[in-house]
This record gives sequence, structure tokens and C-alpha cells, in this order.
Amino acid sequence: MKGYAWLGALVLALLLAKSAGLLPAFLDELPLHLEKSSIDTLGDAGKEAYTELVPFGLILDHTFEFMREELGVSLVTRFVSKRLKELIDIFDNILRGGRKGLGLSAPPWTALLVIAFILGYSLKGWRLALLSGGTVMYFAIFGLWKFAMETLALLAAAVPISIIIGLLVGIVAYRKKWLELALLPILSVAQTLPHFAYLIPVVVFFGIGHQTGVIATIIFAVPPMVRLTLLGLQRVAPEIVEAGKMSGCTNLQLLFRVQLPSARNELLLGVNQVIMQCLAMVVIAAFIGASGLGYRLLHKLQSLKLGQSLEIGVAIVLLAVVLDGLSRAWAEKKRDYAADLPFHRRFRYPILLVVMVAAAYLLAPYFPILEKVPRDLTVTYAKTWDGLVDWIVLNWSDGLTNFRYFLIVNVLAPLRDALLYMPYPSVLLLVAGLGLLLGGYYSALLTLAFLVFIGLAGWWDRAMITAYMVVFATFICIVIGIPVGIFSALSERRAKTALFWCDTFQTFPSFIYILPVIMLFQVNDLSAIMAVIVYAIIPAVRYTVEGIRSIAPELEEAATMAGCNTRQRLVHLQLPVAIPHIMLGVNQTIMFAFSMVIIAAFVGTIDLGQQIFKALSETNIGKGVVLGLCVSFMALAVDHLVTRWARERRRLLGLD
Amino acid sequence: MKLFSKRAVASALFAGLGISGTATADCGSSDPIVIPTHNWSSQIVMSHVVGQLFEKIGCNVEYTSTDSQAVYEAVRIGDATIELEVWEGSFATSFNTALDKGGILDAGTHDAVTREEWWYPTYVEEHCPGLPDWEALAACAEMFARPDSGGKGVYVDGPVEWLHDPARIEALGMNFIQINVGGAAALWAELEAAAKQNKPIVMFNWSPNFTDALYGGSFIEFPAFDEKCKTDASWGINPDATNDCGSPAGGYLKKAAWYMMPVTWPAAYKALTRINFTTNHVGTMAMFVDVEEMEHDEAATRWIEENEDVWSPWLYASQ
Amino acid sequence: MSEPVIRCRSLYKIFGLNPADLRIDGDGVVEPSILEREGTVTAVDNVNLDVSPGELLIVMGLSGSGKSTLVRCLSRLIEPTSGSVEIEGMNLLGMGDRELIDLRRSKMGMVFQNFALLPHRTALENIAFPLQMRGMKRRDYVERARRMIALVGLEGRENNFPRELSGGQQQRVGIARSLAVEPDIWFLDEPFSALDPLIRKEMQDEFLRLQSLLNKTIVFITHDFDEALKLADRIAIMFNGRIEQIGRPEDIVLNPATDYVSRFTSDVPREKVLRVGSVMNPPSEGEEVADRAVDVTDRVENVVEYVLGQRLPVPVVDSGDTVVGVMHQAHVLKVLFPSRSEPA
Repeated sequence: MKGYAWLGALVLALLLAKSAGLLPAFLDELPLHLEKSSIDTLGDAGKEAYTELVPFGLILDHTFEFMREELGVSLVTRFVSKRLKELIDIFDNILRGGRKGLGLSAPPWTALLVIAFILGYSLKGWRLALLSGGTVMYFAIFGLWKFAMETLALLAAAVPISIIIGLLVGIVAYRKKWLELALLPILSVAQTLPHFAYLIPVVVFFGIGHQTGVIATIIFAVPPMVRLTLLGLQRVAPEIVEAGKMSGCTNLQLLFRVQLPSARNELLLGVNQVIMQCLAMVVIAAFIGASGLGYRLLHKLQSLKLGQSLEIGVAIVLLAVVLDGLSRAWAEKKRDYAADLPFHRRFRYPILLVVMVAAAYLLAPYFPILEKVPRDLTVTYAKTWDGLVDWIVLNWSDGLTNFRYFLIVNVLAPLRDALLYMPYPSVLLLVAGLGLLLGGYYSALLTLAFLVFIGLAGWWDRAMITAYMVVFATFICIVIGIPVGIFSALSERRAKTALFWCDTFQTFPSFIYILPVIMLFQVNDLSAIMAVIVYAIIPAVRYTVEGIRSIAPELEEAATMAGCNTRQRLVHLQLPVAIPHIMLGVNQTIMFAFSMVIIAAFVGTIDLGQQIFKALSETNIGKGVVLGLCVSFMALAVDHLVTRWARERRRLLGLD
Repeated sequence: MKLFSKRAVASALFAGLGISGTATADCGSSDPIVIPTHNWSSQIVMSHVVGQLFEKIGCNVEYTSTDSQAVYEAVRIGDATIELEVWEGSFATSFNTALDKGGILDAGTHDAVTREEWWYPTYVEEHCPGLPDWEALAACAEMFARPDSGGKGVYVDGPVEWLHDPARIEALGMNFIQINVGGAAALWAELEAAAKQNKPIVMFNWSPNFTDALYGGSFIEFPAFDEKCKTDASWGINPDATNDCGSPAGGYLKKAAWYMMPVTWPAAYKALTRINFTTNHVGTMAMFVDVEEMEHDEAATRWIEENEDVWSPWLYASQ
Repeated sequence: MSEPVIRCRSLYKIFGLNPADLRIDGDGVVEPSILEREGTVTAVDNVNLDVSPGELLIVMGLSGSGKSTLVRCLSRLIEPTSGSVEIEGMNLLGMGDRELIDLRRSKMGMVFQNFALLPHRTALENIAFPLQMRGMKRRDYVERARRMIALVGLEGRENNFPRELSGGQQQRVGIARSLAVEPDIWFLDEPFSALDPLIRKEMQDEFLRLQSLLNKTIVFITHDFDEALKLADRIAIMFNGRIEQIGRPEDIVLNPATDYVSRFTSDVPREKVLRVGSVMNPPSEGEEVADRAVDVTDRVENVVEYVLGQRLPVPVVDSGDTVVGVMHQAHVLKVLFPSRSEPA
């Protein structure tokens, strides 16, 4: 620790020099833009032009322009776009009729109902059957049929394509070391790049429309699949590969019948991640023209129909839960080789399915309700939800005014001003020092390089504002999330409940709760931070629960035998052992916060997120990507430091 | 080959070779006319009305949702075929940029008059008598203050990308700051919360809009717009600053089309140039959805049913 | 004796060595300086080995001695650095992918320490796997796999996934899988090391039972000397990649070739290794002997009680009931307490 004192001294010197007015300008601010701000000039902050020290944006613009015009990439992308559209049209047509695609007429909704039900039952039993059947019912009864089918068609294209691309890239990277080395940083950036920064190049290359939304979804969903494919293949025990070879496998047989199946857990997790990412993109892709539930949701939000938005949000969550459940159940299904069943027993579910679907088709003309749930029979509880929100706004707003006032004036504004006050070299020094402390010179240089990029790109002040929101939100998430996690982890049942809610909230479209938050807190940083907290607290809770629940039983027994009471057990055993895992949760919380803080620009912020939205609207590809990279690099710097620490800690505890 | 079919058909027509085999009798081409929809109700319903009208003359139509600024670039390169609501206040810049670059046609102006301006819901008049005059508003600045505004009044503006000019506050010497929301939805959330609690609010809004029917309200009357106001500092009440005036009060609402549309879908283009909605029409369409909770396409169908006398000349008038 | 099934000569595996740097003399011996080069690890060092048909060769050594690498070189799961391996007279190292795959599909089976069962396949499917790879028809491979299930005594467990089986059961599946193609050569890489002692003993007996039925040519890796002694026809003791000694268990115990081997064998309970034939006296005319004879191939431990309980020496007979020697109580005591008799 002592060795780093000089760093601290240097930082202090910089701050003192500045307060004494002795700091030369070039050591204080990068030559740009945001007027140093007490919060009261916040409103005007949006207008300044940004000046780059290195014109990364321009370089990117020209690169993309070159690719588009000279290399003819746009011919390829347009071709892909068109083919993809044809594919989606086919799925869309199968699910909801119309003239596009194959020109089929729409299936009766009951046909889908029985398919969902029988599929669920044959894969897992009554619970899944009720869940998947119930979800289809929900779409129909809540009048979301058309949109749900559009989304389903989108997923039907995006999910398999993402999985296939992810698998292929993962497999090639497994076999070619150079590709793996090239891919890892790209994947890291891809997974931290804000969603909206993706959308701009996608629009430029693929045009607008439904299929472009699908492409954005695919691009977003592929990286985790690649990563998990690679990880899964690398984790297959060498003995298993040898067993495959000794069984006389050819290379292809080895890959498809030994390695990939053995990497199953990771691949399933990958598929699961793909589904979740695709559903997370349902709303965001709607910004560039994907239709379906996401588009519907955005539109309802746009006219402040909160109740209806909530119902759509629930539909998206249900869809996620069902698809997740079905895919898992399908993957876990075992074949029965022993039973030599007669045809009608062996194929009883397909037969039942055909019969029931046929019945739905045959009966539908006579009972129109089987064909389509008429609009006057659909239900909605939107009014109730709206009423609830109104009630909360009416009754809580006044009470929250003081709280809001206090936080903004006494906490947030000073924090932000402090960060903006700090001369940029002092921030760099602090980060480098942290890197040095946690991971040595490599870490220091890496994190420094990330921040220097931001400075050179000309977004330093905005990045500091983003950072301050993330820091504060993370702090609150830790203060609330970890105790909640600890409390939940104390019993198996509570832990399960907590994890269930974590899953649910993670797929719940965050746009929906942004609006009530605005209604309570108005448009300001606090609202944005609140929205970030709601979302980013999930991993803090989840990892705490997991970390504590996964402590080896012998350790727990040892604590019991040592006569620990609950508190002692927690303080002396559970927390110290779980802390590396909890830190990974904190890391995830920070990653979630970085991703959400950009979405929270939807509230109205003056950070990088606002500029990304603006770049999207202007179709300003270079600016958007550079901004995205700024966010990504900040996230990666934190990620690097925290995982570094957690790994070291795990090693010390001998947990690996 | 299919990639270029639009161009191929178009050039065939140019060459006077007649209508290609795939074209339908009336529309000109079986390629879909792509109608972009945005995130406000009147525009979506209007798009569906026009789409359904195009279908009546045998065209294929496709709707695709797009950003309302990005759409002009999309029309210019043919990803979208038309744009039905070009609001002067918010989109003139993007539209004009696209016109300059080429590839987009000005397909005429609706009768509907638009206005985008500082706005308040009716009940605010009780708090601040003298509204809608801007000087009255300036005098009430304190009641619009917030904890984070340092005692100044807060004007809730639209997203930064809507490109409003913040210089006005300064030019008119108002004790206000503006904050930008991130999206229209945030505007309505602010409005709803303020209205529920009967608190004063002044915000960006436009007309026709669904808020007219739900809250009532008026635009702030600033010194009237004049071209010189933007360029000539000496003009207006502040002799030292430009921007000392309001936005245009009677802004146009235009239609735009891809430059190949007259060739590819001549009948549809002809209809498009005649299509002309009034403020009333726009308000009705928005109301069907926002107040009566109809679906967009149903609202469009209903409007078509109720207004045959309005639209039939657009489609069938001989020229 | 007939031609060896496996024959390897001057076999080397040097990890981390650039093949271009390899220097070999006329006998296939690698220049010693190369073995000591920085960054290289010599896992197999000049191994020469013959395994005869039906022979059970145990390769025995502590961890890191190179025994696992050796067996992987013999099956070419690892590419040897230099040397030759012949399987039934065919040059293993010269084979192309196709030939190698064919060889494994018909001639070789292998059992792994950690079972290496495919987690997504049931017991039956695991056993059928090599058969499927061969392109066998479903009906046939299911039938054959069922036979293998019966052979290893796992009836009723066909449809269990590996995770649903105990360690012993999993290894039975591993054994059945390795035998499914009816290989001539059977490699077992520490097959019972991961099992509990009781199960291990049970599996060893099971293994001997199978071998008595099948009579395969076997290379069996273990680090457990007791196991080696119990099962082996011959034992090869490896140390630092070299084979220190190869021979019958008795030879190794009675005549350790190197210090390493003798340290290894010093604690071995000799009564478990030595057979009556290697400690008895030749029959002497007129000596009065006990009524019941012992077999010349019996291990000493099995006859201790009987011999010590007799007043008279015990006659030793061979399989033809011919008397080939006599066993005195002193012989037994010498086996049981070697150190006490040695100073004398």
C-alpha cells in the first residue's frame, strides 16, 4: 500500500493546485465543451458542440463509408436484409396469415393454444403445459395476439440464426487459436457496447424496417453464444475427447457427437442467453422498426398508457419464461431406448398434436371464438394499474419531495460537481493507481488506455457524468441489494423466491418503470439513477444469494459445530467465503448499470446516453460508435479491475 | 436480380416499354409501397388510412416503424416510399437536408396547420393568470422552479435531437432553464404527474395532439415568428440577440415521397399529391386511438368509412 | 510364443520440443542433450515393449512417471515424438486418419480413469456409441449393447444417465463401451483408481472374470502396486518416462533391477506375490510329507495357514498332480518375515 502513496500525493497536489488557482489549464480540462456546471446550468449543457482531440468519429465515418460504397458491403448487407425479410415473412405468415410469405391463412388461435399446451406437457408435464398454454391464452385474451405473433415470428428467425452463427464462430475459434485471441476483446466490447450504439451502423448498412430490428437482435444475441460455445468446448474433459477418438470418431463425429453434446451445459446456457438477449432486444429493436410487442409497448408508452404497457411487459416476460422453460425441458428430455413401444404409443404426442390442431381447424368455422378472440371479449386491467400509479403519484409525491430535494441538492449535485471539478490527470492517476494496486502494470496500462481514449475522443465530461450516475446507482444497489440477498439466502425457500424474482425482473422491459419513476421524481438525474437502480440491483441480489447458498456444506457444518449463531456464521463464515462471488455480482451490477444508464437517457440525461440517442436520430454512425465505445471502455476498465480482484481473492481462499 | 428489380422496372418504364409483367393493373408495380410509421398516434392512423386507400387502387403496402428524423434518409434511398407528416417545426431541417441531397420529393402540403411551441395544460392558468402571454409566464418563473433548477423556472423541452433552439430563453431574458427529456413518453409522464397534482408545468408540445382532448391547454404566445428573428439581431424586442421570438405559429404539414415513386407507382403517387388532411381529420384520427382506444388499423378503417366524400376524389377524380 | 500384438521400439514423447530440433542416432535413440533442453518435458523416454497375444501387461508407476502418456502413444491419442509402434505388425505411426479410425473401430478399446462417459447419453447409448460410429444398424447395435450390459452385470440400468449411476456402475459402462467393438487390444488407464477400496476390489475381480472369458491383449495402467500384483501377467515399472524393469511380479519382487524398484517393492507383502513354486525345495526322496498337497501356482498367502498347521513339510503338485517339490514351514516364515532371515 505504501508504495502508492506518491500517487495519492500527486492527486492531492493537483487538487490543491487547482483550488489555489495555480493549475495550468492544460492540466485541468481537456480542451472542450461542457460548461463547468453547477446543476443550474444543466439545461443548457446539451447545446455545446463536441471537439475531439483525435477525430475517431470522422475516421469511423469514412471507414464505414468506404466499406459501404467502395467495398460494396452494402450490397451484401442489403441482400442479407432482403433474404431475412423473406424468411421472417414466412414465419409471420405461418403465425398470423396475410398475403406475405407463403400466402397461408392465419391459423386459429386455439391451434396455437393446443400446440403450446401439448408441447409443454410432452416435454415436462402439467406445470409447463399450463404455463405455455396460459401464455398463449394471455396473448389472446389481453388483445395482444397480433403483436405477440409478430414478435414470435421475429424470434423464430432471430433465435436459431443467432445460435447457429454463435456455434459456428465458437467452433472455429475453438479450433483456431488466432481467431480466439482476436475474438475475445471484440466479444468483450460487444457485450458492453450500449444497445443503442449498435443500432446506428445496423440502420446504415441494413436499412430500416422489421428485418433490420431482427438483424440488430441477432448481432446482440450472438456474442454470449460464441463465448459459451468456446468455453463449453474448452471445458470438455480431455478424457472424453479421447474416449470419442478411441470409439473411432471422425473429426466431424467427434465434434457433433462428443464435444458439442458434452459441452451441453454451456451450450444450453448459451441458448438460454440468446433467448433472453433476443427478448431484451424486443423493445430496443422497435426503435429501428422491429414490429411486435416491443413496438406496441413503445407506442403505448408514448401515449402514457402505463397499464397497457404493463400488460405488454408481462406478455414479454411470459414469453421469455415459456421459451426458456420449453428449451430447457427439450434439452433435458431423454429418449427411452429400452421401451419397444408400438407406433401409436411412441408417437402419441405428435398424433395427439395433429388431431387437436386438426380439430381446432375444423371446429373454428362453426365456433368463431375458436378462430379469433373477438375484441369485445378481450380483457384488460390497464385501468386498475393506471389507477394504482395515479394513487401512488398523488399520495407519495409530496412525501418524496423533501427526499428528492435532499438527494439532488446535497448528494447528487455535489458528487457530480466534484467529479467534474477534478482535473483530468487526477482521475487518470487514481484509476492507474487502482490498476497498479489490483493487477500490476498491465492492469494500470490497460485501464489507463481505456480512459485516455475517452479523453481523446472528446467526451470526457459527459463520461464523468455517466460515471457519477453509475457510481451512485451502484452504491445504492450494494447497500440495498446485498442485505436483501443475505436475508434471502438464509433459507432455501426464500433463496428460490428471490432468484425467481431476479429472473422475472431481468426480462421485464425497463422502459415501463422509467415512466412511473419520472412521474414520481420528474425529469432529472435522480429519475435516471432510480431507473438504473431498479434494474442493476438484480445481480447484486442474485450473486449474494448464490454465493452464500453455494458454500460447501462441510464448512457450514464446521461452523455449526464451532457453535456459531446465525450472526457469527454470517460474519465469520458466509460473507468472507462468499465475497469473491458477491464481488462478481457487484461487477455485474456495474455492468448492468452502465447498460441501463444509457437506456435511462430515455428519461432525459445530459451524459453519453443522451448523445447516443441523438446520434441514432441523426444516423451519425461515427459519433454513435465512438460514444458507445466510451461507455464500453469505462465498463471494461471496471470489469477488468473487479474480476482481477475477485480472481485473486478466490485464489487466496482456495476456491478454484 | 431481385435486388435490382425496382430499378429494373423503373428503367423499363422510362424507356417506354410499358408495364412489366409483375405489375398490377392500377398501381403500377406489385412491389410494396413502404409506409413508415412513427411513435405518435395520428401519424400511424394516417399512414394506415393512406395505406388502405392505396390498397383500394390495387397497390401492395407495407408498414414499417422508423425514427421520425431518420426517416428522411430512408425515403431518400428508397427504404421507405413516403412520409405523410412532415412537421415544419421539428422536421423541416431533416427534410430540407434530404431535399438538398436529392432522392426525395415534396409531395404537397396538407391543409392541417401545425404548431410546436411552449405549452401548458389549461389548469396552469389558475396558478399564473395572464397566460398565455410569455411575459406573464416569465413573471411566474418561480412557481415552475425545481430543486435542481437553482430557483429558476423549468421548461420541459423535448429530446435534444428535436433540435430546438435554447437561445430563446436568454434572448428574451427569461428566468428559466430548459431541461431535455429523453423521449416523448417522458414529456407525457411529466405532464400526467403535474396534472394529477395540479402543479404548474410548462413544456414542449404540439398540435394537433392527443393532449388537446385529454388536458386542454394553450401555447405560450411569444413575439411572433419572423425569418429575420433567426438571423438579424437588431430585429425584435432584444436588439442584441437573435431568437427573440416564438416558433412559426402556422407551420406546414407536408407529404414527402421517394423520387422513384411517380415512376414505379404512378397511380399511388398521383393520389398522394391530392391527399390532404385538415387539422380536424388529424385530431379525429388521434382521438380514435388515444381516447377511444381503437387499434390503428381499425381507426383507419373507421375513418375511411366515415369520410368517403373526403377521400374518393383523391383516388378517383379524373384529372 | 507368437508374434507380439503390440511392439514398440525407441519410443519417445518429448513435450515442448520443436520437431525440427530432434536428433536421433541410428538405433532411434534421442541425443541426451535434447532431453535436458529448457522448456521440454520428456514423458516417455526410450521405451521398448512387446505385448504378446492374451497377455495382461501392467504399466505401473507413480503419477508423472509417464505411464498415461505411454499408453496414449500406443493408442496414438498422443503423437509420439519419435520411435515406432506396431500393432499386429502394422505401423501405427504411419497410418492416415482413415486407417487409424478403422483400427480403433475394430481393434482397440480403452477404459479411462474418470470413466469419460458421454454425459448426454444413457448407459446403453454410451455402450452403443462406438458401434454407431462404425455405422452399425440400430437394431444391431442395440442388441450388441444389451449383450455388453449383461456382460458387465448392469441389467436394468440401460436407460440411466451416467450422473444417475454410482462410480462402479459408471466404470462398468466404460468397460462395456470399450468392449463393444470386440477389440483385440484393450487399454485401461487407471480404470479403478477413482473408486472406493471395496468397489475397487469388486471391480478387479470382475475384471479378472471378464479377462478369463475374453482373453484380450491388455495394457493396464495403475499406480497401485497391490493391484498390479493381483492382476498382472507381467509388470513394467516406469520412472521418469523410462521403464525401470519389466517382468513377472515374482521376478520384480525377488530381483529388483534398480534401487527405485527395490524401494518400491520393499513394503510389498510377499506372500501375496510369491507363488509356492518360487519358494519351495525340489522334492527329496524319502522325505516324510503331509497328506494333502498344495498347488505349485498357489500364492503363498493362500497356503500359509495350512503349511504352518502341519507338523510335516507339505508336498507341492502341478496341474497334472505330479509332485514337483516340498514346502517347509521355514519357507513360509521366510516369505512372511524376510528381514529377520536376511542377516543370518
